[in-house]
Amino acid sequence: MEAPVPESRSVILCVDDETVPLTLRRLVLEKSGFAVVPASSATEALDILKAQAVDLVLTDLLMPGLSGLDLARKIKERSPALPIILLSGVNEVPEDADCADLFLSKVEGPVAMLEKISEMLKKSRGTTV
Amino acid sequence: MATPAQAKPMSHEDHATPMDTNEKVNILMVDDQPAKLLSYEVILGDLGENLIKATSATEALEHLLKKDIAVVLTDVSMPDIDGFDLAEMIRQHPRFQKTAIIFISGVHLTDLDRVKGYRQGAVDYITVPVIPELLRAKVSIFAELHRKRRQLEVLNRQLEQRVAERTEELQERADLLELASEAIMVRDLSGTVQFWNSGAEELYGWRRDEVVGKNIHDVLRTRSTAGVNGTWQSALLASGRWEGNLIQYNRDGGEIVVASRQALKSDANGAAGAVLEINRDITATLQTEEALRKAERLAAMGRVAGIIAHEINNPLEAIINAFYLLRDHPSLDDEARIYASLGEGELLRIAHIVKQTLGFYRESQQPVPVFIPEVLNNVLELQARHLQMNRVTVETRYDGSATIYGFPAELKQVFLNLIGNAVQAMPEGGRLRLRVHQCTDPRTQLKGVAIGICDNGSGIKPEDAKRLFEPFFSTKSAKGTGLGLWISKGIIQKHEGTIQFRSVRTSRSCGTCFRIFLPEAVSREVVQAASSGDLSQSNGGARA
Repeated sequence: MEAPVPESRSVILCVDDETVPLTLRRLVLEKSGFAVVPASSATEALDILKAQAVDLVLTDLLMPGLSGLDLARKIKERSPALPIILLSGVNEVPEDADCADLFLSKVEGPVAMLEKISEMLKKSRGTTV
Repeated sequence: MATPAQAKPMSHEDHATPMDTNEKVNILMVDDQPAKLLSYEVILGDLGENLIKATSATEALEHLLKKDIAVVLTDVSMPDIDGFDLAEMIRQHPRFQKTAIIFISGVHLTDLDRVKGYRQGAVDYITVPVIPELLRAKVSIFAELHRKRRQLEVLNRQLEQRVAERTEELQERADLLELASEAIMVRDLSGTVQFWNSGAEELYGWRRDEVVGKNIHDVLRTRSTAGVNGTWQSALLASGRWEGNLIQYNRDGGEIVVASRQALKSDANGAAGAVLEINRDITATLQTEEALRKAERLAAMGRVAGIIAHEINNPLEAIINAFYLLRDHPSLDDEARIYASLGEGELLRIAHIVKQTLGFYRESQQPVPVFIPEVLNNVLELQARHLQMNRVTVETRYDGSATIYGFPAELKQVFLNLIGNAVQAMPEGGRLRLRVHQCTDPRTQLKGVAIGICDNGSGIKPEDAKRLFEPFFSTKSAKGTGLGLWISKGIIQKHEGTIQFRSVRTSRSCGTCFRIFLPEAVSREVVQAASSGDLSQSNGGARA
């Protein structure tokens, strides 16, 4: 099934501490027409957010330093409407994952990931200020 | 006389200890003439006994009641109450029926007759004039007799006391043996039961009166756990002691494992006489240990599975993404594109396996209403191609509202597993029946939904049936991880439900039916366990 193409180029902040997976994920997202800003850590992500606006955050869960959960919490403090998707290699939903908007397993595959991203963007576009 | 088993003696005479063998006895001399009394006193003085004087029968009786009199020496002719009357009065008293009485009389024929009449007790007479040596001899004989009798009484009483004490000790020990929860038994060398305490009655179900006298090996059918009968018996005979685990059978035929300690008792000559056996039931302990070990293994497996899943998933996602990018890459020719597509397909399979076997992916932590027929139909759609390939017809009957609170993705996994198995069991075609209806579980009285998934495939072999829900057990030769049913059972248990199956393999019909019961509402404990993300719980690990 073909992935849906976004109407205008939405900007996705993509966070993961491992380089190769991050790169491949970015390429997949760009192939579908998204603009991607990569970050290798939660701290780097927060710095980027200070400088520019993004439409969605896609972050890995387990990272050295601040985890994806910590990042989600911090982002929600400042921008509660910004959709955050936690992407993870764990198969278990962690306890307080509800500070993120969605928890997605890495092995669902790129098509599922792209679908969920489109869904979230559509929802948030309806409610953004 | 004091009664035998009394611990405290009552009369004063018991102050005499066995050591006072030469304690003086009392000799009562009765004569109305004080001069005669005096002469008797002189004659008998050398005997070294206590001499008591009485001048009348009445006085004599008073002395008798107060003291222990060994010999009564009495004049026959006394005014008022004569010697014979006195003797009669003495003999009437139960305490004095054995008291020695010596009459001092003149030789009157009538007197002699009357003396002979007194056959009871020690009786003698002496004629007047009294010969001192004769009097001394007669008195001392009776005196000595009395002394000996008294000593004997004392010894008897002491013996009786010791027996009573010893009996009490033995009774206390027997009571202690009864208090012991262990089975304590004694048998002779041929195996005949001699002693069987209440612990043994409790453990084996046989009452004492049912086994004493029987052969213990017939009753208990003892086997050693090593499987070799008899070696422990020879070990016992050789070293006098043996300790180890034995398998025995109780009255109902149930098998029990006991920790046994046995010892050889020697008889009086030092030869081996009897066997003392003390057994403790360890069946439950062994079962608990085994269950704990299993649970620990499963929990460990669950933890390891979670770690492996995570480690695999990261690079796996990267590869999947790489293949996704390759898919439509312009530089690929048709051949290369086919390779890429095949690779992508296999990657998706890996992803599926990892998800299935190494953990669950949950959409929510709270149970939500799940309409069972919808999930089943969902699964049927997923399996559509397989159903078609195997030419399996599907019959469904969904009754009632059939909604329960649970975790839909996990339930979908269970139905996928069971329906998938059913379809695979019918490679040459068959019929798949799905039944859903509301009902109440008879055991727990909980309301819920019963789901039946039945096929008419080849059925499950009896030897496989026992192990069906074990992890890594698979009836499919090459495919299958063997974890599907184990995980499914874990999920159902997490929903506080039950899963059972029945399988038939006869020439006329065969097939398998799985029956699942899911209660309507899931309890709070399950919700809490779900939200803690505990891997061992979700894999059905510790609770398998």
